Amino acid sequence: MIWAVLILLFTGPLLTLPYLIVFPKRKEDHFRDMPFESGQVPQGEARRRLSMQYYPYVLMFVVFDVVGMFLFAWGISFTRIPIGSSLMVLLFLILLGAPLGYALRLALRRENW
Amino acid sequence: MVNLPTNPADILPFIISIITSHTFITLVIFPGLIHLVLASSFLTWYERKLLARIQLRIGPLYAGWPGGILQPIADGVKLIFKEVIVPYKADRTLFTWIPLALVFLGTLPFAVIPFGQNWVIANLDVGLVFVFATTSIFPSMIIIFAWASNSKYPFIGGLRSLFQQVAYEIPMWISALSVVILARSLNLLDIVNAQAKIWFIIPAFLSFIVFFICVMAELERLPFDLPEAEPELVAGWYTEASGVIFMALFLALYLKLYLMSTLVTVLFLGGWWGPAFLPQPVWTILKTMVVATFIIIPRGIYPRIRVDMLIKLGWTRLLIIALGNVFLTLLIVNSGVLSAWGL
Repeated sequence: MIWAVLILLFTGPLLTLPYLIVFPKRKEDHFRDMPFESGQVPQGEARRRLSMQYYPYVLMFVVFDVVGMFLFAWGISFTRIPIGSSLMVLLFLILLGAPLGYALRLALRRENW
Repeated sequence: MVNLPTNPADILPFIISIITSHTFITLVIFPGLIHLVLASSFLTWYERKLLARIQLRIGPLYAGWPGGILQPIADGVKLIFKEVIVPYKADRTLFTWIPLALVFLGTLPFAVIPFGQNWVIANLDVGLVFVFATTSIFPSMIIIFAWASNSKYPFIGGLRSLFQQVAYEIPMWISALSVVILARSLNLLDIVNAQAKIWFIIPAFLSFIVFFICVMAELERLPFDLPEAEPELVAGWYTEASGVIFMALFLALYLKLYLMSTLVTVLFLGGWWGPAFLPQPVWTILKTMVVATFIIIPRGIYPRIRVDMLIKLGWTRLLIIALGNVFLTLLIVNSGVLSAWGL
Protein backbone atom coordinates (compact mmCIF):
# COMPACT_ATOMS: atom_id res chain seq x y z
CA MET A 1 0.00 0.00 0.00
CA ILE A 2 2.76 2.41 1.00
CA TRP A 3 4.67 1.10 -1.98
CA ALA A 4 1.87 1.98 -4.41
CA VAL A 5 1.59 5.51 -3.01
CA LEU A 6 5.35 5.91 -3.15
CA ILE A 7 5.58 4.85 -6.78
CA LEU A 8 2.89 7.36 -7.68
CA LEU A 9 4.64 10.07 -5.70
CA PHE A 10 7.98 9.50 -7.42
CA THR A 11 7.18 8.46 -10.97
CA GLY A 12 4.14 10.69 -11.31
CA PRO A 13 5.91 14.07 -11.16
CA LEU A 14 8.96 12.75 -12.97
CA LEU A 15 6.93 11.72 -15.99
CA THR A 16 4.17 14.33 -15.92
CA LEU A 17 6.31 17.46 -15.56
CA PRO A 18 7.55 17.26 -19.16
CA TYR A 19 3.94 16.97 -20.35
CA LEU A 20 3.07 20.11 -18.44
CA ILE A 21 6.10 21.94 -19.79
CA VAL A 22 5.62 20.85 -23.37
CA PHE A 23 1.89 20.84 -23.91
CA PRO A 24 0.87 24.46 -23.33
CA LYS A 25 3.34 25.70 -25.93
CA ARG A 26 1.95 23.48 -28.65
CA LYS A 27 0.26 24.80 -31.75
CA GLU A 28 -1.75 22.61 -34.07
CA ASP A 29 0.51 21.45 -36.86
CA HIS A 30 -1.19 19.07 -39.19
CA PHE A 31 1.95 17.81 -40.87
CA ARG A 32 3.92 17.24 -37.72
CA ASP A 33 1.04 15.51 -35.96
CA MET A 34 0.38 13.10 -38.79
CA PRO A 35 0.40 9.44 -37.78
CA PHE A 36 3.50 7.64 -38.98
CA GLU A 37 2.89 5.65 -42.11
CA SER A 38 6.35 5.28 -43.62
CA GLY A 39 6.20 8.67 -45.32
CA GLN A 40 2.80 8.22 -46.92
CA VAL A 41 -0.17 10.41 -46.16
CA PRO A 42 -2.45 8.25 -44.01
CA GLN A 43 -5.73 7.37 -45.62
CA GLY A 44 -8.89 6.16 -43.94
CA GLU A 45 -9.57 5.42 -40.35
CA ALA A 46 -7.08 3.64 -38.14
CA ARG A 47 -9.73 2.55 -35.67
CA ARG A 48 -11.44 0.14 -37.95
CA ARG A 49 -12.59 -3.39 -37.32
CA LEU A 50 -9.88 -5.93 -37.95
CA SER A 51 -10.85 -9.54 -38.25
CA MET A 52 -8.56 -11.57 -36.02
CA GLN A 53 -10.54 -14.82 -35.76
CA TYR A 54 -9.70 -14.97 -32.14
CA TYR A 55 -13.09 -15.82 -30.74
CA PRO A 56 -12.45 -19.52 -29.88
CA TYR A 57 -9.25 -18.56 -28.14
CA VAL A 58 -11.04 -15.93 -26.09
CA LEU A 59 -13.57 -18.53 -25.00
CA MET A 60 -10.76 -20.91 -24.06
CA PHE A 61 -9.06 -18.09 -22.18
CA VAL A 62 -12.20 -17.45 -20.15
CA VAL A 63 -12.48 -21.14 -19.32
CA PHE A 64 -8.84 -21.65 -18.39
CA ASP A 65 -8.67 -18.42 -16.46
CA VAL A 66 -11.24 -19.72 -14.01
CA VAL A 67 -9.76 -23.20 -14.04
CA GLY A 68 -6.36 -21.73 -13.24
CA MET A 69 -7.81 -19.83 -10.30
CA PHE A 70 -9.32 -22.98 -8.82
CA LEU A 71 -6.15 -24.94 -9.54
CA PHE A 72 -4.10 -22.47 -7.53
CA ALA A 73 -6.50 -22.76 -4.63
CA TRP A 74 -6.26 -26.55 -4.90
CA GLY A 75 -2.49 -26.56 -5.34
CA ILE A 76 -1.73 -24.99 -1.98
CA SER A 77 -4.18 -27.16 -0.07
CA PHE A 78 -4.08 -30.58 -1.70
CA THR A 79 -2.26 -32.20 1.20
CA ARG A 80 -4.91 -31.08 3.66
CA ILE A 81 -7.96 -32.27 1.72
CA PRO A 82 -8.93 -35.95 1.28
CA ILE A 83 -7.34 -37.74 -1.67
CA GLY A 84 -10.76 -38.29 -3.25
CA SER A 85 -11.18 -34.56 -3.79
CA SER A 86 -7.79 -34.33 -5.44
CA LEU A 87 -8.78 -37.17 -7.73
CA MET A 88 -11.94 -35.28 -8.61
CA VAL A 89 -9.86 -32.26 -9.61
CA LEU A 90 -7.66 -34.43 -11.81
CA LEU A 91 -10.75 -36.09 -13.30
CA PHE A 92 -12.11 -32.64 -14.09
CA LEU A 93 -8.87 -31.74 -15.83
CA ILE A 94 -9.02 -34.92 -17.90
CA LEU A 95 -12.65 -34.21 -18.81
CA LEU A 96 -11.60 -30.73 -19.86
CA GLY A 97 -9.24 -32.31 -22.37
CA ALA A 98 -11.99 -33.34 -24.78
CA PRO A 99 -13.56 -29.87 -25.27
CA LEU A 100 -10.06 -28.40 -25.36
CA GLY A 101 -9.13 -30.74 -28.20
CA TYR A 102 -12.33 -29.89 -30.09
CA ALA A 103 -11.85 -26.16 -29.64
CA LEU A 104 -8.25 -26.37 -30.75
CA ARG A 105 -9.24 -28.37 -33.81
CA LEU A 106 -11.67 -25.63 -34.73
CA ALA A 107 -9.33 -22.80 -33.92
CA LEU A 108 -6.18 -24.12 -35.52
CA ARG A 109 -7.64 -24.47 -39.03
CA ARG A 110 -5.27 -22.65 -41.29
CA GLU A 111 -8.04 -21.27 -43.54
CA ASN A 112 -9.36 -19.29 -40.57
CA TRP A 113 -6.16 -17.29 -40.36
CA MET B 1 2.59 4.59 15.79
CA VAL B 2 5.59 6.87 15.51
CA ASN B 3 6.00 9.61 18.11
CA LEU B 4 6.63 12.89 16.37
CA PRO B 5 9.36 14.99 18.00
CA THR B 6 8.28 18.12 19.85
CA ASN B 7 11.70 19.54 20.72
CA PRO B 8 13.42 21.22 17.69
CA ALA B 9 16.72 19.60 18.67
CA ASP B 10 15.18 16.16 18.15
CA ILE B 11 14.13 16.74 14.56
CA LEU B 12 17.46 15.87 12.94
CA PRO B 13 17.97 12.60 14.87
CA PHE B 14 14.34 11.75 14.12
CA ILE B 15 14.86 12.20 10.40
CA ILE B 16 18.08 10.19 10.57
CA SER B 17 16.30 7.39 12.43
CA ILE B 18 13.62 7.33 9.73
CA ILE B 19 16.15 7.29 6.89
CA THR B 20 18.19 4.50 8.45
CA SER B 21 15.13 2.43 9.34
CA HIS B 22 14.72 -0.87 7.53
CA THR B 23 11.32 0.07 6.10
CA PHE B 24 12.68 3.23 4.51
CA ILE B 25 15.67 1.41 3.06
CA THR B 26 13.55 -1.36 1.57
CA LEU B 27 11.08 1.12 0.14
CA VAL B 28 13.45 3.66 -1.31
CA ILE B 29 16.89 2.15 -1.73
CA PHE B 30 17.26 -1.56 -2.06
CA PRO B 31 14.36 -3.47 -3.47
CA GLY B 32 12.74 -0.09 -3.82
CA LEU B 33 12.77 2.78 -6.26
CA ILE B 34 16.47 3.60 -6.66
CA HIS B 35 17.42 -0.03 -7.20
CA LEU B 36 14.62 -0.53 -9.74
CA VAL B 37 15.52 2.54 -11.77
CA LEU B 38 19.20 1.59 -11.74
CA ALA B 39 18.46 -2.03 -12.62
CA SER B 40 16.16 -1.23 -15.52
CA SER B 41 18.51 1.37 -16.96
CA PHE B 42 21.40 -1.06 -16.55
CA LEU B 43 19.37 -3.66 -18.43
CA THR B 44 18.87 -1.33 -21.41
CA TRP B 45 22.63 -0.76 -21.57
CA TYR B 46 23.32 -4.46 -21.05
CA GLU B 47 20.96 -5.50 -23.81
CA ARG B 48 22.48 -3.07 -26.31
CA LYS B 49 26.02 -4.09 -25.42
CA LEU B 50 25.26 -7.81 -25.50
CA LEU B 51 23.46 -7.66 -28.84
CA ALA B 52 26.27 -5.56 -30.26
CA ARG B 53 28.81 -8.14 -29.15
CA ILE B 54 26.76 -10.96 -30.67
CA GLN B 55 26.60 -9.11 -33.97
CA LEU B 56 30.30 -8.18 -33.87
CA ARG B 57 29.60 -4.51 -33.22
CA ILE B 58 30.85 -2.41 -30.32
CA GLY B 59 27.64 -0.90 -29.00
CA PRO B 60 27.46 2.08 -26.63
CA LEU B 61 30.96 3.39 -26.11
CA TYR B 62 31.39 7.04 -25.25
CA ALA B 63 29.15 7.89 -22.29
CA GLY B 64 31.08 6.85 -19.21
CA TRP B 65 33.55 4.14 -18.38
CA PRO B 66 33.42 1.15 -18.90
CA GLY B 67 31.81 0.80 -22.29
CA GLY B 68 29.33 3.65 -22.16
CA ILE B 69 27.52 2.50 -19.04
CA LEU B 70 26.03 5.97 -18.55
CA GLN B 71 24.30 5.76 -21.92
CA PRO B 72 20.82 5.07 -20.39
CA ILE B 73 21.09 8.25 -18.31
CA ALA B 74 22.08 10.26 -21.37
CA ASP B 75 19.15 8.74 -23.25
CA GLY B 76 16.80 9.57 -20.41
CA VAL B 77 17.87 13.22 -20.33
CA LYS B 78 17.56 13.43 -24.09
CA LEU B 79 14.08 11.90 -24.11
CA ILE B 80 12.83 14.15 -21.31
CA PHE B 81 13.74 17.27 -23.29
CA LYS B 82 12.37 15.99 -26.58
CA GLU B 83 9.08 17.24 -27.90
CA VAL B 84 6.06 15.03 -27.30
CA ILE B 85 4.19 14.60 -30.55
CA VAL B 86 0.62 13.39 -30.26
CA PRO B 87 -0.91 12.29 -33.57
CA TYR B 88 -4.00 14.18 -34.62
CA LYS B 89 -7.35 12.63 -33.72
CA ALA B 90 -5.51 10.66 -31.06
CA ASP B 91 -7.11 10.37 -27.65
CA ARG B 92 -4.84 12.77 -25.79
CA THR B 93 -5.78 11.74 -22.28
CA LEU B 94 -5.27 8.04 -22.82
CA PHE B 95 -2.21 8.58 -24.97
CA THR B 96 -0.43 10.54 -22.26
CA TRP B 97 -1.57 8.67 -19.16
CA ILE B 98 -1.40 5.03 -20.21
CA PRO B 99 2.45 5.04 -20.22
CA LEU B 100 2.36 6.28 -16.64
CA ALA B 101 -0.08 3.52 -15.72
CA LEU B 102 2.26 1.01 -17.37
CA VAL B 103 5.21 2.22 -15.29
CA PHE B 104 3.03 1.98 -12.20
CA LEU B 105 1.97 -1.55 -13.07
CA GLY B 106 5.54 -2.54 -13.85
CA THR B 107 6.77 -1.29 -10.49
CA LEU B 108 3.92 -2.51 -8.30
CA PRO B 109 4.72 -6.28 -8.32
CA PHE B 110 8.22 -5.65 -6.97
CA ALA B 111 6.58 -5.09 -3.60
CA VAL B 112 6.23 -8.86 -3.18
CA ILE B 113 9.44 -10.04 -4.89
CA PRO B 114 11.90 -11.17 -2.20
CA PHE B 115 15.55 -10.31 -2.81
CA GLY B 116 16.63 -11.78 0.52
CA GLN B 117 15.21 -13.08 3.76
CA ASN B 118 14.57 -9.54 4.98
CA TRP B 119 14.80 -7.71 1.67
CA VAL B 120 11.16 -7.66 0.70
CA ILE B 121 8.76 -4.75 0.82
CA ALA B 122 5.49 -6.54 1.52
CA ASN B 123 5.31 -10.13 2.74
CA LEU B 124 2.05 -10.92 1.01
CA ASP B 125 0.48 -14.36 1.42
CA VAL B 126 -0.79 -14.41 -2.16
CA GLY B 127 2.36 -12.89 -3.65
CA LEU B 128 2.50 -15.09 -6.73
CA VAL B 129 -1.14 -14.41 -7.61
CA PHE B 130 -0.52 -10.70 -7.07
CA VAL B 131 2.36 -10.71 -9.54
CA PHE B 132 0.31 -12.55 -12.14
CA ALA B 133 -2.69 -10.28 -11.57
CA THR B 134 -0.69 -7.10 -12.10
CA THR B 135 1.18 -8.39 -15.13
CA SER B 136 -2.04 -9.55 -16.77
CA ILE B 137 -3.31 -5.95 -16.86
CA PHE B 138 -0.44 -5.10 -19.23
CA PRO B 139 -2.04 -6.35 -22.49
CA SER B 140 -5.26 -4.42 -21.94
CA MET B 141 -3.27 -1.26 -21.23
CA ILE B 142 -1.28 -1.88 -24.40
CA ILE B 143 -4.40 -2.29 -26.55
CA ILE B 144 -5.85 0.90 -25.05
CA PHE B 145 -2.65 2.79 -25.83
CA ALA B 146 -2.56 1.38 -29.35
CA TRP B 147 -6.18 2.37 -29.93
CA ALA B 148 -5.62 5.82 -28.50
CA SER B 149 -2.73 6.64 -30.83
CA ASN B 150 -5.02 6.47 -33.89
CA SER B 151 -2.48 5.01 -36.25
CA LYS B 152 -2.52 1.76 -38.14
CA TYR B 153 0.76 0.21 -37.12
CA PRO B 154 0.20 0.61 -33.39
CA PHE B 155 -3.30 -0.75 -33.69
CA ILE B 156 -2.19 -3.93 -35.43
CA GLY B 157 0.72 -4.27 -33.00
CA GLY B 158 -1.59 -3.80 -30.04
CA LEU B 159 -3.97 -6.48 -31.26
CA ARG B 160 -1.08 -8.88 -31.80
CA SER B 161 0.25 -8.08 -28.35
CA LEU B 162 -3.16 -8.74 -26.84
CA PHE B 163 -3.64 -12.15 -28.34
CA GLN B 164 -0.07 -13.21 -27.78
CA GLN B 165 -0.10 -12.32 -24.10
CA VAL B 166 -3.52 -13.84 -23.62
CA ALA B 167 -2.36 -17.07 -25.25
CA TYR B 168 0.78 -17.38 -23.14
CA GLU B 169 -0.63 -16.35 -19.79
CA ILE B 170 -2.49 -19.60 -19.23
CA PRO B 171 0.50 -21.95 -19.71
CA MET B 172 2.53 -19.59 -17.55
CA TRP B 173 0.11 -19.81 -14.65
CA ILE B 174 -0.32 -23.54 -14.96
CA SER B 175 3.42 -24.16 -15.12
CA ALA B 176 3.83 -21.99 -12.01
CA LEU B 177 1.23 -24.22 -10.39
CA SER B 178 3.70 -27.09 -10.10
CA VAL B 179 5.97 -24.80 -8.08
CA VAL B 180 3.00 -24.00 -5.86
CA ILE B 181 2.33 -27.71 -5.43
CA LEU B 182 5.96 -28.33 -4.49
CA ALA B 183 6.14 -25.43 -2.02
CA ARG B 184 2.49 -25.62 -0.88
CA SER B 185 2.37 -21.86 -0.62
CA LEU B 186 1.65 -18.81 -2.73
CA ASN B 187 3.91 -16.64 -0.59
CA LEU B 188 7.08 -15.96 -2.56
CA LEU B 189 9.19 -15.94 0.62
CA ASP B 190 7.91 -19.40 1.51
CA ILE B 191 8.51 -20.57 -2.04
CA VAL B 192 12.15 -19.50 -1.84
CA ASN B 193 12.56 -20.96 1.64
CA ALA B 194 11.26 -24.30 0.37
CA GLN B 195 14.19 -24.34 -2.08
CA ALA B 196 16.85 -24.28 0.62
CA LYS B 197 17.96 -27.82 -0.15
CA ILE B 198 16.99 -28.30 -3.77
CA TRP B 199 16.14 -25.70 -6.39
CA PHE B 200 12.77 -26.24 -8.07
CA ILE B 201 14.41 -26.32 -11.48
CA ILE B 202 15.37 -29.94 -10.74
CA PRO B 203 12.02 -31.48 -9.68
CA ALA B 204 10.06 -29.18 -12.01
CA PHE B 205 12.33 -28.96 -15.02
CA LEU B 206 9.55 -29.23 -17.62
CA SER B 207 7.58 -26.44 -16.04
CA PHE B 208 10.76 -24.33 -15.94
CA ILE B 209 11.06 -24.74 -19.71
CA VAL B 210 7.38 -23.89 -20.26
CA PHE B 211 7.55 -20.97 -17.88
CA PHE B 212 10.67 -19.59 -19.53
CA ILE B 213 9.14 -19.79 -23.03
CA CYS B 214 5.99 -18.08 -21.76
CA VAL B 215 8.08 -15.37 -20.14
CA MET B 216 9.80 -14.76 -23.47
CA ALA B 217 6.40 -14.47 -25.15
CA GLU B 218 4.98 -12.22 -22.44
CA LEU B 219 7.96 -9.91 -22.79
CA GLU B 220 7.54 -9.83 -26.58
CA ARG B 221 11.12 -10.93 -27.06
CA LEU B 222 12.40 -12.65 -30.14
CA PRO B 223 11.40 -15.22 -31.39
CA PHE B 224 8.01 -14.03 -30.14
CA ASP B 225 8.27 -10.33 -30.96
CA LEU B 226 5.32 -10.18 -33.35
CA PRO B 227 3.81 -7.14 -31.60
CA GLU B 228 6.88 -5.05 -32.32
CA ALA B 229 8.03 -6.70 -35.56
CA GLU B 230 10.31 -4.00 -36.91
CA PRO B 231 10.24 -4.91 -40.62
CA GLU B 232 6.44 -5.09 -40.75
CA LEU B 233 5.10 -2.79 -38.08
CA VAL B 234 7.85 -0.15 -37.64
CA ALA B 235 7.92 -0.44 -33.85
CA GLY B 236 4.63 -2.15 -33.15
CA TRP B 237 2.33 -0.66 -30.58
CA TYR B 238 4.65 2.17 -29.56
CA THR B 239 5.30 3.51 -33.04
CA GLU B 240 3.71 6.87 -32.24
CA ALA B 241 5.33 7.28 -28.81
CA SER B 242 7.88 10.07 -28.58
CA GLY B 243 9.78 11.93 -25.91
CA VAL B 244 8.70 11.24 -22.36
CA ILE B 245 5.95 8.87 -23.44
CA PHE B 246 8.52 6.69 -25.16
CA MET B 247 10.76 6.86 -22.10
CA ALA B 248 7.91 5.77 -19.83
CA LEU B 249 7.01 2.87 -22.12
CA PHE B 250 10.63 1.79 -22.32
CA LEU B 251 11.00 2.00 -18.55
CA ALA B 252 7.85 -0.09 -18.13
CA LEU B 253 9.06 -2.70 -20.62
CA TYR B 254 12.45 -3.07 -18.98
CA LEU B 255 10.89 -3.13 -15.53
CA LYS B 256 8.77 -6.00 -16.80
CA LEU B 257 11.87 -7.74 -18.14
CA TYR B 258 13.52 -7.36 -14.75
CA LEU B 259 10.36 -8.49 -12.99
CA MET B 260 10.04 -11.64 -15.08
CA SER B 261 13.74 -12.46 -14.62
CA THR B 262 13.44 -12.12 -10.85
CA LEU B 263 10.26 -14.19 -10.95
CA VAL B 264 12.04 -17.02 -12.78
CA THR B 265 14.86 -16.75 -10.24
CA VAL B 266 12.49 -16.84 -7.29
CA LEU B 267 10.31 -19.64 -8.56
CA PHE B 268 12.87 -21.98 -10.09
CA LEU B 269 16.45 -20.96 -9.37
CA GLY B 270 16.30 -20.86 -5.60
CA GLY B 271 16.09 -17.11 -5.10
CA TRP B 272 18.78 -15.98 -2.69
CA TRP B 273 20.16 -19.45 -1.89
CA GLY B 274 23.80 -19.92 -2.71
CA PRO B 275 27.17 -20.28 -0.99
CA ALA B 276 27.32 -17.90 1.96
CA PHE B 277 30.38 -15.88 0.93
CA LEU B 278 28.11 -13.45 -0.90
CA PRO B 279 25.12 -11.74 0.76
CA GLN B 280 21.63 -12.88 -0.19
CA PRO B 281 20.56 -9.96 -2.44
CA VAL B 282 23.75 -10.32 -4.47
CA TRP B 283 22.87 -13.94 -5.24
CA THR B 284 19.36 -12.98 -6.30
CA ILE B 285 20.63 -10.23 -8.57
CA LEU B 286 23.36 -12.42 -10.07
CA LYS B 287 20.88 -15.16 -10.94
CA THR B 288 18.46 -12.57 -12.26
CA MET B 289 21.14 -11.21 -14.57
CA VAL B 290 21.90 -14.71 -15.83
CA VAL B 291 18.20 -15.25 -16.59
CA ALA B 292 17.99 -11.83 -18.26
CA THR B 293 20.99 -12.74 -20.39
CA PHE B 294 19.25 -15.88 -21.57
CA ILE B 295 16.13 -13.85 -22.34
CA ILE B 296 18.11 -11.26 -24.31
CA ILE B 297 20.47 -13.50 -26.29
CA PRO B 298 17.82 -15.00 -28.67
CA ARG B 299 17.16 -11.46 -29.94
CA GLY B 300 20.55 -11.56 -31.60
CA ILE B 301 20.18 -15.06 -32.94
CA TYR B 302 16.70 -16.20 -33.88
CA PRO B 303 14.23 -15.15 -36.58
CA ARG B 304 10.61 -14.38 -35.75
CA ILE B 305 7.99 -17.12 -35.82
CA ARG B 306 4.71 -16.91 -37.74
CA VAL B 307 1.44 -15.90 -36.09
CA ASP B 308 -0.32 -19.23 -36.49
CA MET B 309 2.80 -21.08 -35.28
CA LEU B 310 2.89 -18.83 -32.23
CA ILE B 311 -0.73 -19.48 -31.37
CA LYS B 312 -0.39 -23.19 -32.03
CA LEU B 313 2.68 -23.46 -29.82
CA GLY B 314 1.04 -21.55 -26.98
CA TRP B 315 -2.37 -23.16 -26.99
CA THR B 316 -1.50 -26.74 -27.80
CA ARG B 317 2.04 -27.76 -26.91
CA LEU B 318 2.73 -25.51 -23.96
CA LEU B 319 -0.74 -25.79 -22.44
CA ILE B 320 -0.77 -29.57 -22.72
CA ILE B 321 2.78 -29.90 -21.38
CA ALA B 322 1.90 -27.59 -18.49
CA LEU B 323 -1.26 -29.51 -17.64
CA GLY B 324 0.53 -32.84 -17.88
CA ASN B 325 3.25 -31.44 -15.71
CA VAL B 326 0.75 -30.80 -12.93
CA PHE B 327 0.02 -34.55 -12.88
CA LEU B 328 3.73 -35.34 -12.99
CA THR B 329 4.51 -33.03 -10.09
CA LEU B 330 1.66 -34.49 -8.12
CA LEU B 331 3.05 -37.99 -8.72
CA ILE B 332 6.54 -36.88 -7.69
CA VAL B 333 5.30 -35.23 -4.53
CA ASN B 334 3.05 -38.13 -3.54
CA SER B 335 5.67 -40.78 -4.27
CA GLY B 336 7.90 -39.28 -1.57
CA VAL B 337 10.99 -39.13 -3.75
CA LEU B 338 11.60 -35.58 -2.60
CA SER B 339 11.17 -36.26 1.11
CA ALA B 340 14.96 -36.29 1.49
CA TRP B 341 14.93 -32.61 0.59
CA GLY B 342 12.00 -31.80 2.85
CA LEU B 343 9.38 -31.33 0.15
